[in-house]
Amino acid sequence: MSNFEQWGTLAIFVIVGCLLYAVIMTVNRIMRPSVPSPQKLTTYECGVEALGVGWAQTNIRYYIFAFLFVIFDVEAIFLFPWAVIIGDLDATTRISPVFALVAMFLFIGTLLEGLAYAWKKGVLTWD
Amino acid sequence: MQIDFIAILPEIILTVTALLVLAADLALRGDAKQFVNPLAGLGTVAAIIATVALWGSERVTFGTMYVVDDFAVLFKLLFLGTLLAILAISWRYIAEHRFFQGEYYFLLLTSFIGMLLMPSSRDLIMLFIALETVSVPAFVMVGMRKRDLYSSESALKFFLLGVLAAALMLFGMSMVYGFAGTTDLVGIAAAISGETASVPLLLGSVMLVLVGFGFKISAVPFHFWAPDTYSGAPMPVAAMLAVASKAAGFAGLVVVAFIAFEPVADVWGPMLGVLAVLTMTVGNLIALQQRDLIRLLAYSSVAQAGYILIPFGLARTGPGAAVVNAAAIEAVVFYLIAYAVMNVGAFAVAIAVERRTGLRSIADYAGLSGRSPLLAMGMTVFLLSLGGAPLTVGLWAKFAILEAIAVDITLFGIVLAGFLVVNSVIAFFYYLKVVRTVWMDEAPAGLPQLQPGFNLSAVVVVLMVGTLVLGVLPGLVTDFSSVISIVAAG
Repeated sequence: MSNFEQWGTLAIFVIVGCLLYAVIMTVNRIMRPSVPSPQKLTTYECGVEALGVGWAQTNIRYYIFAFLFVIFDVEAIFLFPWAVIIGDLDATTRISPVFALVAMFLFIGTLLEGLAYAWKKGVLTWD
Repeated sequence: MQIDFIAILPEIILTVTALLVLAADLALRGDAKQFVNPLAGLGTVAAIIATVALWGSERVTFGTMYVVDDFAVLFKLLFLGTLLAILAISWRYIAEHRFFQGEYYFLLLTSFIGMLLMPSSRDLIMLFIALETVSVPAFVMVGMRKRDLYSSESALKFFLLGVLAAALMLFGMSMVYGFAGTTDLVGIAAAISGETASVPLLLGSVMLVLVGFGFKISAVPFHFWAPDTYSGAPMPVAAMLAVASKAAGFAGLVVVAFIAFEPVADVWGPMLGVLAVLTMTVGNLIALQQRDLIRLLAYSSVAQAGYILIPFGLARTGPGAAVVNAAAIEAVVFYLIAYAVMNVGAFAVAIAVERRTGLRSIADYAGLSGRSPLLAMGMTVFLLSLGGAPLTVGLWAKFAILEAIAVDITLFGIVLAGFLVVNSVIAFFYYLKVVRTVWMDEAPAGLPQLQPGFNLSAVVVVLMVGTLVLGVLPGLVTDFSSVISIVAAG
């Protein structure tokens, strides 16, 4: 397929996409009943009347907890495949079980130091 | 998978040191916290020994992702030497300014681990990880003066532009992968050279990858972050960004350009050559206007990046290209070593002057010769060397570039050489302006004698002697830098 044919396909794709959007919106506009009321302009919040303004403050501590959570989430992702294969390892495999064990505990130890750091810095207490 | 632990021993040592530093910071209290600095220094010395032991060997590990050859070892020694100097000039500065000391040294070591990975990487993913390991701790270190709005601003600028460059580079890498079907650099070169006609999309993605490194080395269209970031960051961090981080960017650029993209060197060579001209001219012209010494050094480092880019402009492909490319790489490596010696020295003097007083405009350097003859001598030697005066290593660094141009003279090479010479003359104007202020202007009344302390003085003396000795005997470095060859290997 030549260069132009590839770009031509893309161009047709874009044009059809735009047309489809225009057709749907036009049909919608023609078919729908139009009954405006001020109620319809209010913010929709699960059928409950909206209170306050759109800006809200979130405690910065959530961020740090989320951060720690992600780190240990990654640890879990590495732990699962490791746990699945470590039972199959023995002296004949390319990786010895001791190597796998030491490697994983080095990894966990590194993360634990991070946790100890966060703890010591008082990040884990809420107040 | 068989891992060659000897090959990655320097990185392992630095990692262990970084973790120990963090633990020591948690255990120590108050003034004792500053002793994490010698701990980090010991780890660095151990890593240097482990690296020196690797000289002359060719080790490949992690599949073919990680190669330790003489090229990599030379770069690693450059980084570790810079780290040692930066640790020495940080000690008092960081301890006195009540920074988060443990975190600072931890982040510094982490960033240098990334740099050690860079020249050994032979895989796009490895390169990207190395580059991010260099950058991410640097973002935090720049914002280390937490209460200072100026520092926060510079950290934010650095972060946003850095992330943008990383995203562009990743985008380019993904397209290169889509084209070559491999992330291995040698494999990419094979895939590209198999193509008869050049594909615009491939060339575009090559450019995107190079842009990512262009940001790291602050080449001109991507240099805007550098002056603001250097002047807002704590000064040892500015020194690290100006020297080590830039050298890491060049290491990555050499690896990716001369190994993976070697078959399209006809395209990126002239482009980087034009960037070199722009970078040195713009850097030098703006440096003329600076009143703040750190901003002057920042723009001077932009201009220096331009000089170092010149050999990239000579790169070519096809028969007989290997000789030219090898000479270009040699010039880059030698210039980077010379640049590290003189620029860390200049920053060391600036730290000594700024440390207690906060004085940093060029006018404040008036009468430095009376306040501290050693620092004045040091500043003079470093600035003259940055300019490229005889008897200093700076002259040989520029000579190395001209030598690379002379390997196979082309019109473009002559134009580049012309810009190099003209720019060196421009640069001398602002370097000499500072030197004149240091030696000839009267010191403002009431300033005490400077007491830089043992570590800082030692660094200034060692680097000053290094600048002068290498200025007389450049062979001490070129004997080693001339035997490296990644072109033949790649």
